Amino acid sequence: MTAQVATSAHSNPLDLHGADRLDDVSRPTKHDDAWRYAPHDLLARLLFGSTTATAQQAPAVAVNRIPQLDGPRIVIVNGVIDVDQSQIAALPDGLRISTFAGSATEPTDPADDVDSGFAADAFLIAIERFGSGGVAIEVTDGHHLDVPIHLVDLVAPNQTRNTPSRSAVVRLGEKSSATIVETRIGTGPVFGGLNTRTSITLESNAALEHILLQNLPETQIHLGRVEVSQHAGSTLRAHSFNLGASYGRVAYEVHLLGAGGQADLSGLYFGTGAQTLDQQITVVHSARDCTSRQSYRGVLDDESTGVFNGGIDVRPGADGTDAQQSNDNLLLSDRAEANTQPRLEILADDVACKHGATVGQLDDSALYYLRTRGITANDARRLLIDAFASQAVDNIESDAVRAWIRARIGASHA
Amino acid sequence: MLMVENLSTSIGGTPILEGLDLSVGAGEVHAIMGPNGSGKSTFAHALAGRDGYEIGGTATLDGVDLLAMDPEARAAAGLFIGFQYPVEIPGVNNMYFLRTALNSVRRARGEEEIGARDFLAVAREAMELVEMKKDFLNRSVNAGFSGGEKKRNEILQMAIMRPRLALLDETDSGLDIDALQIIAAGVNSLRSPERSVVIITHYQRLLDYIKPDVVHVLVGGRIVDSGDHTLAHYLEDHGYANFVNHDPDSAPGRPLTGTAS
Ligand SMILES: Nc1ncnc2c1ncn2[C@@H]1O[C@H](COP(=O)(O)OP(=O)(O)O)[C@@H](O)[C@H]1O
Ligand SMILES: [Mg+2]
Repeated sequence: MTAQVATSAHSNPLDLHGADRLDDVSRPTKHDDAWRYAPHDLLARLLFGSTTATAQQAPAVAVNRIPQLDGPRIVIVNGVIDVDQSQIAALPDGLRISTFAGSATEPTDPADDVDSGFAADAFLIAIERFGSGGVAIEVTDGHHLDVPIHLVDLVAPNQTRNTPSRSAVVRLGEKSSATIVETRIGTGPVFGGLNTRTSITLESNAALEHILLQNLPETQIHLGRVEVSQHAGSTLRAHSFNLGASYGRVAYEVHLLGAGGQADLSGLYFGTGAQTLDQQITVVHSARDCTSRQSYRGVLDDESTGVFNGGIDVRPGADGTDAQQSNDNLLLSDRAEANTQPRLEILADDVACKHGATVGQLDDSALYYLRTRGITANDARRLLIDAFASQAVDNIESDAVRAWIRARIGASHA
Repeated sequence: MLMVENLSTSIGGTPILEGLDLSVGAGEVHAIMGPNGSGKSTFAHALAGRDGYEIGGTATLDGVDLLAMDPEARAAAGLFIGFQYPVEIPGVNNMYFLRTALNSVRRARGEEEIGARDFLAVAREAMELVEMKKDFLNRSVNAGFSGGEKKRNEILQMAIMRPRLALLDETDSGLDIDALQIIAAGVNSLRSPERSVVIITHYQRLLDYIKPDVVHVLVGGRIVDSGDHTLAHYLEDHGYANFVNHDPDSAPGRPLTGTAS
């Protein structure tokens, strides 16, 4: 279904209802596996189009900086770079940041080498057709950036343009390394959303730590896709924290194109109220001797729904693949729901592939044990929830980022 | 200090404890012995406040009604239970757990909390007591601990919490003689006129190292006999056969050796 859209994306623009709304034909439906748990009625209300909102019109919001790290920062308000709040002057050696308008995949833009083999969907096409532009980040060969690059999206929807669509294109040159943190926050009571695409290319032996913190208000919808092309010997460590929005979608598609690549993806989703937090993860092994890990944990309270749809796709010739996937869910309420769907397709030899999923509740005997030591029922619950969630936070490399994420998770679920 | 009267406990309508009486004075060490399944652990958990019991009778600590309180409030009131089966809690750091526990009871008592640095000194001292290696503090609570390490962790917690009444449920089972001596030395060093200890065991072995003031026999959900430490030796030699199916309201189930308390 989505593949058909992909082939027609460039040659045959979508038929749109009005100027900026995806029509009923283009939008995915419940019958698309990848969109089964999406709120289709709300998706129909998303208004794309090149936003007229500017940074100046957006309410002044104190953008969340990473304490102790005042490094490169790109602040994007309603899809438009906010120069005042950004910090892209005096960049460290080996780092180039530029901005572009429109789609990131047109021939003139800085990302013409983006791998086009990624599955498309209507929202990707919305970015291509109506995207407000974005940012290109390039780390030159052999450079190691020790300060994280922070990309902050702020969404403040208005009635006519409620869903900014923007791109980020990241390229790490050979043997370079960097950490990129993407934070998505929003404000205001108006319905809306954020539609993003981050296209990452890791050249041989490059290493990237990519952290995505989605914390939009519950009036909004988050559609975030991350595409990664990895060349030989490169390493990706991705950590997503899917916390906010009424529907929070985080999609990673990783293509291991060169031998010996490593993709280590982990994530935490923490649902309350009626949230649906949807992780759509696919790793494609196209080369020999690559390793991939998908390790996702969900904590689901109230009537929230967690979705993990995880694919391991081992193409012919990708011998020596070592791929693992796990999805563990902690249900804090009997109205909460966890949905796990593994998709494995293995067409190579000598492949080690493991996957597993669990759904559990807080351990009553552990709660009791903690309480007999004087710890209140509330604190005991928090201690156990933190213990479950901490695995996703513990393996963030940067101390400062880890502490900051920890604080943000604590703050949004106090 | 601890006063238990006519305590009854049933689970889903099945009676486990049926009118248990026990009185432990300040500074005393009592032992409760009894065959498997006689209700020893149930007694410990009924005092600690585990969910799922139907409970009758009374239990007070320093005159405070334990049975009306949440488990955490019982801990704040000075009760400590050493678990027969300590619970593994992966992902919760032992040191953090111990400090949170201590500060929780201090807060509940209106006392000042202890900072991380001062706590380290408290923890170090307690660890020496049970000859525990430093890396214990950095591991998850009981996770992957050997049987003996778990039991030592219980005594470590007792040493840090400094309870008014410690009830140790089979802290000796599964220990080799060296570990047993470490545990016994730890408990003995915590004996004081302000602290009482109840030791649940079904071997007299531990009682060679921790000499009890009173030994009780728990059979069929009741204390059927009480005596001095020689009662433990009698049980070791003769088992519980004479107490089983014995009506405790008639004559004692053994030759009179000790003094009933
Ligand atoms: N959760 C439970 N549900 C039903 N029966 C139980 C439960 N826990 C204990 N029992 C029963 O209560 C009795 C006493 O158990 P327990 O207190 O563990 O004995 P002890 O510690 O003396 O070996 C046993 O017959 C046991 O099977
Ligand atoms: Mg027992």
